[in-house]
Amino acid sequence: MSTITIQNLSKQFEQHHVLQGLDLTIADGSFFTLLGPSGCGKTTLLRCIAGFNAPDSGRILFDQDDITGVPAHQRNIGMVFQDYALFPDKTVYDNVAYGLRARKVAPDEVRARATQALELVGLDGYAGRFAAQLSGGQRQRVALARALVIRPRVLLMDEPLSNLDAKLRLSMRDMIRDLQRQARITTVFVTHDQEEALAMSDQVAVMLAGSIAQMGAPEFLYASPASAYVADFVGSANLLSVDYTGPGTVALGGRTLQVDTAAAKPLANNQLVLRSEALTLVWTEQQAGSNGLPVTLSGRQYLGARTLLRVALPDGRMLQVDAPGLQRHQVGQALWLKVPPSSRVICR
Amino acid sequence: MRHWQRLWPWGIFSGFSLALMLLFVAYPMSVLTLNSLRDAQGQLSLGGFATVLGDSQYRQAIGNTLLLGVTVTLSATLVGVPLAYVIARHDFPLKSLVAILPVITIIIPEVIVGQSWLMMLGNNGLISNALRELGVPVPSFYGWGGMVFSMTLIYYTYVYLGTLAALRGFDGQLEEASLSLGASPLATRLHVLLPTIAPAILVNALVVFTLVVGNFALSSMLGGQTPLLSVMTYSLFVSEMGSSPMLQSSLSVILVAIVAVVLFVQKRVVERRMVQMVQGRAPAPRRAGSWRGNLLALAAVLLVTLSLVPLVAVLAGAFTQARGPVMHWGQWSTQSMERAFSLAPEPIFNSMLFAGLATVLGTALALMVSYLVVKKKSGLSGLLDYAVVLPLTISGTVLGIALVQSFNTAPLVLTGTTAIMVIVYVVRRMPFGVRNASSVLYNIPGSIEEASISLGVSPLMTFFKVVLPVMKTSILSAAILMWATSISELSASVVVYSGGLETLPISIFRLVDTGRLGLASAYGTVLVTLILVPVALAAKFLKINLFSGK
Repeated sequence: MSTITIQNLSKQFEQHHVLQGLDLTIADGSFFTLLGPSGCGKTTLLRCIAGFNAPDSGRILFDQDDITGVPAHQRNIGMVFQDYALFPDKTVYDNVAYGLRARKVAPDEVRARATQALELVGLDGYAGRFAAQLSGGQRQRVALARALVIRPRVLLMDEPLSNLDAKLRLSMRDMIRDLQRQARITTVFVTHDQEEALAMSDQVAVMLAGSIAQMGAPEFLYASPASAYVADFVGSANLLSVDYTGPGTVALGGRTLQVDTAAAKPLANNQLVLRSEALTLVWTEQQAGSNGLPVTLSGRQYLGARTLLRVALPDGRMLQVDAPGLQRHQVGQALWLKVPPSSRVICR
Repeated sequence: MRHWQRLWPWGIFSGFSLALMLLFVAYPMSVLTLNSLRDAQGQLSLGGFATVLGDSQYRQAIGNTLLLGVTVTLSATLVGVPLAYVIARHDFPLKSLVAILPVITIIIPEVIVGQSWLMMLGNNGLISNALRELGVPVPSFYGWGGMVFSMTLIYYTYVYLGTLAALRGFDGQLEEASLSLGASPLATRLHVLLPTIAPAILVNALVVFTLVVGNFALSSMLGGQTPLLSVMTYSLFVSEMGSSPMLQSSLSVILVAIVAVVLFVQKRVVERRMVQMVQGRAPAPRRAGSWRGNLLALAAVLLVTLSLVPLVAVLAGAFTQARGPVMHWGQWSTQSMERAFSLAPEPIFNSMLFAGLATVLGTALALMVSYLVVKKKSGLSGLLDYAVVLPLTISGTVLGIALVQSFNTAPLVLTGTTAIMVIVYVVRRMPFGVRNASSVLYNIPGSIEEASISLGVSPLMTFFKVVLPVMKTSILSAAILMWATSISELSASVVVYSGGLETLPISIFRLVDTGRLGLASAYGTVLVTLILVPVALAAKFLKINLFSGK
């Protein structure tokens, strides 16, 4: 269990800067997620922490220990891979025991700890099987048991859920979080799935082009995105260019809206962030109140628990509205959109 | 200190492997090239090439070699492609056997093929004598007819295997799409199927061409009076022994150049046109019911049977009463076998020793090189990747000559030693060994090694604890192939060997030359047994398909 400190870390592959002077502190025992699209550097950062990539400059510390030059196999990490990376010629039990044997743990203790680890992930009856005889979820649990049984200083997970189907992913999230909490192990989790990041993490770092765009608790990132990029990546957001007209007001399509302009600047590229589930469609201007926008419904997808609606502003810009249950509006209808006054304006 | 840490262990291994390839391939080839440009006084001179190009005998040899290459390539393609089509698209009794048997033709040593056809169709052959008794005029088997016939029956296998793989990967829906758009079945085959598999056919046809150009055993046993490059290079080597090696070197360089050009075209032009199937489900084979289907099936069975005649002939020959070149067919005797084992068993021991050493060393080296090239990419391993395919351009005869020229004098004298025989075997097999091992390694995800390292095992130990166990069966099959090909090697070893180092193929080659077919057959039977028994055991008990990686 360690605090991970990353100081001024840079890494480039050929001419491409993958990490650019990155600074980061990951609190002891926390569940920390690196979130971003492919190519943002999140996996490279994780692999630098693991020791599979050597940074060009900068330092990585576990607590007070500088491990920048320490080879991967001496770092005492637990790693879970996207493709599980189970040894195909070894049984489930031998996979889990592998790291213990490498540490020259006494045979009795190997047996006790490996068996306990398998119980912990609910695979006690599977010790003699091979990876090929397991389902995806079971393989993932073996990989988790194998990484945790060695009691590593940090647990590193590289998109561990991306190869599972949607239902399994939900239950694996719970299992991973429960085990992490019990072991109180510092965990770095890499994903491109914002829902996963919000659901599991204590802290999330949204990455963009080799640096951290914004970092914070999930609820903070969602409520107060610092940039259009973060707003768009965390949750689904409609971004609209608006004119700043004074404290608390912006102009959009000839109408003045009351919104949160704390981060706005005059004469700059101000963008209004409208969360699709915070928007409401109503029939009349009266129902919309003072913060209403006239729109036309141009498409709808009924999804059972909710309905996704696509509406057009008079100037043709499109917005997405996420409404609960079945919405009975007809495509082509003229409607009004209610904008919550808590919507934020950001400036980039 | 940091620098050394970074080099250990993979940098050191890459450097070591590269040094071996440079010492035993690149260095001998440069010695050979220099010798081709140096006259008897040691002066730089183009005299060698001038002699070769000015003498009609040599010009004829070059022309004949190219013509033979083209002819056999064409005939092997004409045999191999239809066979592949029949196997891929039709079902008939014994099909699975017929489909796999051609593979055996590749591992029957060429000396044995040559000898067997001579015993059947040569001047005193079983079949030619029978035909003569019936009053049928029998043309001489020596020369073009014999070479084209016997080479076609071996080399069609390469075209067959390549085409079969392409056909099996072909997406049958493409044909259905063509038919649905109104094209006739014939037009569909011509315009949809053929263009897709043509590059695969061509790649393998070009391989056949290089094999024919470099062929020594069949060319010299069956060529008769036809001048051919590889045979002539060998005889020049024998006759120039002790004097200036200019002419043999010049001919060798020309041989290498021909093969290099063809391989370059194959790599750069043809392989790039290979079509990647987006998705592939080959259409299910049709049961042959029609007379046409039956006829095709029958032709396939006959063809494959014909290409296996040498195997039967050599077995029969070993147990037949023989006096010199005259085989008393029908009179069985164990005399030749007894002589092989009791009076002259040395070639048997030599072959087993050399091939055994080559198998162990060659498999280990090929495995290490492919691991470095595939998994530990660096500048050094990139060079290594090029170095290991170099032997593909060098025919056995040329490699042998280059090694003799390079390691005949101090500081490193290897001629006349076991080492040079083993080196010859390993070098010749290297490109194939590395290619096979690489295809296995590409399928092992890098993450399982990283998983092992993350669990506290060093990279080097990870190789032994994780990579090797996963590759176990592939390593075994690579070793068996290495054994089978090494023990049949003739063209390079016949150049580098000296008294006391005779192997089975060398002995057979010389016995056939002096007309002692009985003992040759006996050696041949031992050789075939040494090859086929491990192959059969592996296939049976380890379920190894030796040729899946090709």
